[in-house]
Amino acid sequence: MEILKISLSDFLAHVNKKIQAGDSKQVGVVPKGSHFVFGELDEAAQLCLDYDVTILPPKKYFQPQREVLVKYAPKDASSYAMVNDCENLTLIGVHPYDLVAIHLMDRAFSEGERDENYMAKRDCSVLIGLYPTRGFEHRFSASMIDPQMPYKVADLMLIKLDDNQLALEVVSKKGKAYLEGAAVAKSDLSEAFLAQARNKVKDSQAFPLGPDKSPAYFKEKYEHPVWEKLGEKCYSCGSCVFVCPTCYCFDVRDEVELSLASGERVRYWDGCMIESFAICAGDHNFRKERGARFRHRVFRKTVTLPEKYQVMGCVGCGRCAQACTADIAGPMKVIKTMKEMN
Amino acid sequence: MGNCQCQSNTKGSSIYLPEIARITRKKLMTDVDCFFEFEMEKRPLGHKYGQFVEISIPGIGEAPISISSAPSSSKKFEMVIRNVGELTSVIHGLNIGEAIGVRGPYGTTFPMDDLKGKSLLYITGGIGLVPARSAILHSLANRNDYKDITILFGCKDPSQRIFVDELSEWEKRPDVNFLETVDTAANSNWKGNVGVITTLMPKLQNVNPDNTVAIVVGPPIMYKFVIMSLHDMGFTDDHIVVSLERRMKCGVGKCGHCQINHIYVCQDGPVFYFSDIKDLKEAI
Ligand code: SF4
Ligand code: SF4
Ligand code: FES
Repeated sequence: MEILKISLSDFLAHVNKKIQAGDSKQVGVVPKGSHFVFGELDEAAQLCLDYDVTILPPKKYFQPQREVLVKYAPKDASSYAMVNDCENLTLIGVHPYDLVAIHLMDRAFSEGERDENYMAKRDCSVLIGLYPTRGFEHRFSASMIDPQMPYKVADLMLIKLDDNQLALEVVSKKGKAYLEGAAVAKSDLSEAFLAQARNKVKDSQAFPLGPDKSPAYFKEKYEHPVWEKLGEKCYSCGSCVFVCPTCYCFDVRDEVELSLASGERVRYWDGCMIESFAICAGDHNFRKERGARFRHRVFRKTVTLPEKYQVMGCVGCGRCAQACTADIAGPMKVIKTMKEMN
Repeated sequence: MGNCQCQSNTKGSSIYLPEIARITRKKLMTDVDCFFEFEMEKRPLGHKYGQFVEISIPGIGEAPISISSAPSSSKKFEMVIRNVGELTSVIHGLNIGEAIGVRGPYGTTFPMDDLKGKSLLYITGGIGLVPARSAILHSLANRNDYKDITILFGCKDPSQRIFVDELSEWEKRPDVNFLETVDTAANSNWKGNVGVITTLMPKLQNVNPDNTVAIVVGPPIMYKFVIMSLHDMGFTDDHIVVSLERRMKCGVGKCGHCQINHIYVCQDGPVFYFSDIKDLKEAI
């Protein structure tokens, strides 16, 4: 892998050139109040390469909260036409745990029946990763992700060396193409130095189980009282699944214009913590109890996805722990509570 | 800005785009269940026994419905649609020649090939007969492939019976043991069995559980009791096949609605050997 250096100001100048060229939307991390979000950049100066976590993960660019799948003239089945809107997009400053989450989403949407609405958006994207420079109290990603896995989806990785200097790892052809015309220089940095720069911030907590041990451990705890104990505090608000970078469940609804001339079949984010999620015909709800829904969500992260992909289904971003008003959603909280109860 | 010239090679296709099928026959079976024959516009559906399709009306929505005809190479297929909501009520109101959207077929199938040489015990409740019928018709059309065939059918009351002509045909066939019951028969001239479906099972003296596979399809509440009775008769879990109902949206293993632990009912099911799912706590 080629490693380059660039000054922060030259990097921002390059991003500005991309914004002006206008053939690819430049999206990066920008401050919002005391938090951070991914948003479209009007100028590179808005870009923040020093943040703890974004409120929502970047999944919203590949699986938008609202996405039209099919359009039609109401009641006329012969009018069905597919919709697949995508645009060239560069995401700048994606932390490694979010890159791993994108890798998991890629697998879910490409394996079996290939979802072109997701995949086309991914194909049109350039991902520029960034090693974190700020800790986040709820993060435990070092214990959840394989450090090589971000490179499966990243096109470039940024390593902040100091306030003015960046190292650039060129991972893919797309990444290399992105840098065309940028004021980059060859790197003279040793691997030891880079390794240290990549790991500047340490998590304050670690999940004790990896993808090999986690499924068996949790399956054994299927009937553990922790699910009810934590679940009974749940408001079924769904925040924990909406902010989660590895949650991709959705609902599909039909929406018709007021004039009744045209309509759309639309997918929306949905989640297993919402009470109606598993109701089927005859109003039979297969996960009526909050505890059962809570367990289902945690099991997806700790059992289902690890068994399927040999990768933890939670990347340890800590967003759910921060978003949950009931203070129950974080996988660390589940583990700690289980230990306390024993 | 950022208009996409992506070379995403299959951007021209979508797993969410329905194809079209037109109604070729239609017949009300009960006050809520209507039989339909559809014809695909472009290609044979190519389904197998026990599979389902996502049917839709633009502006109303989509829902999974079981196919009730036996597999065939024709463009025609049959379904019984129960009127339970807006989508199904609009479809009930459609006339011959009108179109619906169809995606699929999806899901696993009754293992009719593996079951060759065995005896079959179909246990069906209500519109559970709809998907089971695709297997029943196949096994009756290939009668020599199977040993004894027993069909149990139960529904709430006599007015809820579906496929009544076929039920009486099966009743008459010497090579089929057909038993039927209704939960209640008040206000009707029903002369047959009364009681839930498990009350028929003690009548199955001749069924040999070692060489028989039970195919169970019915409303969620039915499974637990039927499986208990099958166990009492000596059936092992690998001789019981079930078809599960779940909330479904996408039908293609993405949306998560049908998920039970690691299983996506829309892809890994709806048909399962009970031995494969008996430890799934939320399965039945
Ligand atoms: S479960 Fe929580 S910590 Fe894990 S990836 Fe999802 S939001 Fe992040
Ligand atoms: S964020 Fe907390 S309260 Fe809301 S659904 Fe998730 S666990 Fe329940
Ligand atoms: S119905 Fe969407 S995953 Fe099964």
